[in-house]
Amino acid sequence: MGEYLLEIRPGVEAFLFHEALLLDDLRFDEWLELFTDEARYWMPIAETLDYDQSRVSAEGEWALVEETKAFMAKRLERMKSGMAFSEQPRSRTRHYVSNVLVTAGEGGTVIARSNILVFQGRRDRKGEFFAGYRLDSLVRDDSSWLITERRVFLDQRVLPRALSVFL
Amino acid sequence: MATALMNHPEIETDDLHRLVDPARGIVNSRVFNDPEIYQRELTQIFMKTWTYVGHEAQIPNVGDYVTAFIGEDSVIVSRGRGGDINVLLNSCRHRGLAVCSSDRGNASLFRCPYHGWTYGRDGALLGVPKMQEAYHNELDKASHGLVRVPRVEIYRGFIFANWDYGAVSLEDYLGRDMLWYLDIPMVGALGDLVPIGPVMKFRMKTNWKLASENFAGDDYHVLSTHGAAFRIGFLPDYDHLADYTANFDHGHGMGDIPKPGRAIENDRGMAQMFGPDAAAYVEAFNARVREHLSERQADIHGIGEGNIFPNLSWIKFGCFHAFGLLQWLPKGPNEVEVWQTTFFDSEAPQSVKDYARSQMSQENAAAGIFGQDDGENFERISEVLRGAVCGKQDLHYAMGLGHEDEMKVEGLPGRLGPHYTEANHRNFYRYWLQLMTGREG
Repeated sequence: MGEYLLEIRPGVEAFLFHEALLLDDLRFDEWLELFTDEARYWMPIAETLDYDQSRVSAEGEWALVEETKAFMAKRLERMKSGMAFSEQPRSRTRHYVSNVLVTAGEGGTVIARSNILVFQGRRDRKGEFFAGYRLDSLVRDDSSWLITERRVFLDQRVLPRALSVFL
Repeated sequence: MATALMNHPEIETDDLHRLVDPARGIVNSRVFNDPEIYQRELTQIFMKTWTYVGHEAQIPNVGDYVTAFIGEDSVIVSRGRGGDINVLLNSCRHRGLAVCSSDRGNASLFRCPYHGWTYGRDGALLGVPKMQEAYHNELDKASHGLVRVPRVEIYRGFIFANWDYGAVSLEDYLGRDMLWYLDIPMVGALGDLVPIGPVMKFRMKTNWKLASENFAGDDYHVLSTHGAAFRIGFLPDYDHLADYTANFDHGHGMGDIPKPGRAIENDRGMAQMFGPDAAAYVEAFNARVREHLSERQADIHGIGEGNIFPNLSWIKFGCFHAFGLLQWLPKGPNEVEVWQTTFFDSEAPQSVKDYARSQMSQENAAAGIFGQDDGENFERISEVLRGAVCGKQDLHYAMGLGHEDEMKVEGLPGRLGPHYTEANHRNFYRYWLQLMTGREG
């Protein structure tokens, strides 16, 4: 318990809730501003092994998502083209973020660990859920936190569908 | 065993000929949604053709195994004591449970959780609890091993299995003409072309053939389906990238084959982004192809994408692009589980490895901007085909009909076609029909 930074936790939690709200309200341009320019977004692939279920893609192995802010911006540009059919019309999403714990990271960063449950509704289908946890590396900006790295670890071995939304 | 599995629900051969008519460019939408046709595919297609089940590099040591599917049947691919590879039905002979429920691992035994029957790496039944008390020592263990898939063959590390004792060899099935293209990235690699991480798995609510036929050479969809990717400058203008399609015996097809000289020119341009290591890599890759294969294969250099009948698709553009294998595993007429494995050259420079790896995730994968739009379109087809009328309509597969033999390029094998044609689709369904009806043409 001693390692948790309880004093800053409310502020970090509010930041993560706000970030989720921007995603669910489709305010993607504002959302992207919450990432530093060199920010990295990484989502490894889970594997099912006999005893150890913590095995995911190692660094240097391929992943569900491996990109920087520059490509995240390309994704947004793509969605605005009107030809990104996986998100045309746009999905409805609901990001549930909970169990937030904050620890000290390297180089003045803090690490926010949170659980996520994301509902995605596409057109008139029943929709799908993605469940897992995030490790976000955050740095303090003048007025807010900024994300320098987001790692998302899904609990699903087989994704229920292709991934066309940000988790 | 085998005969029991060969039974299939009744759909008449004549019905199939009415539904699929490659000569007229017609495929009826029933073949994408009919449960009886689907059941018949599981035996007539998936038990008669070679299925990719893993790569040797995934099971280098004695006892290493991966699990895979042939049709809807789970199999274990295990490395035996002598280095041999066993492909075993993942189903206990007592009550049928899967005896292995992980993706991969190392095991000396596979144990059924229900009553504890235990099998060796080669499938032999080794242990039966209470053999004396329960079976009076009368159970014949020798005849109750895990069912073995009889044919297992390997091409350059890629392991395939086949239920059909009488099938042609894997190399004959793939065919020299298609291998002429597939050899290019396999031989051009400075090291080994090996998996670079776990198998990615995701679901699509569609029919497996829609994905297969797409990779078999549907270059036509790229302009619309992937229009956004070109609009944002993710790739250069599409018509600059590719020129030909080709199809082959046994239903295989490929598209986006570049005009000789074009792919290496493109790679030399891309190398500018990465630096001297990458520039040297392009030349070394190409020189290997020139030396170990042929001048003509070196001129082709990058090979596009394709589908190995029935459901193994691949993608590979140039030497900076990873080699992606996509298995469209059938899970009912309207459901596919995609298993995607990405391979790359173990001896490529680190900067090139980093690019190729992340580029595949961004391009053709579960979250890739190409893959997700393809999946959406396939699912939209399957949604609509549930309708009583939509689900029984003739669909148009006639692009380029009557122009099949017009494209000839010296030294390029296969039945060549232009960039935009559905000759490859018709080739796919011609072989599909042959297997489903048991007769030629």
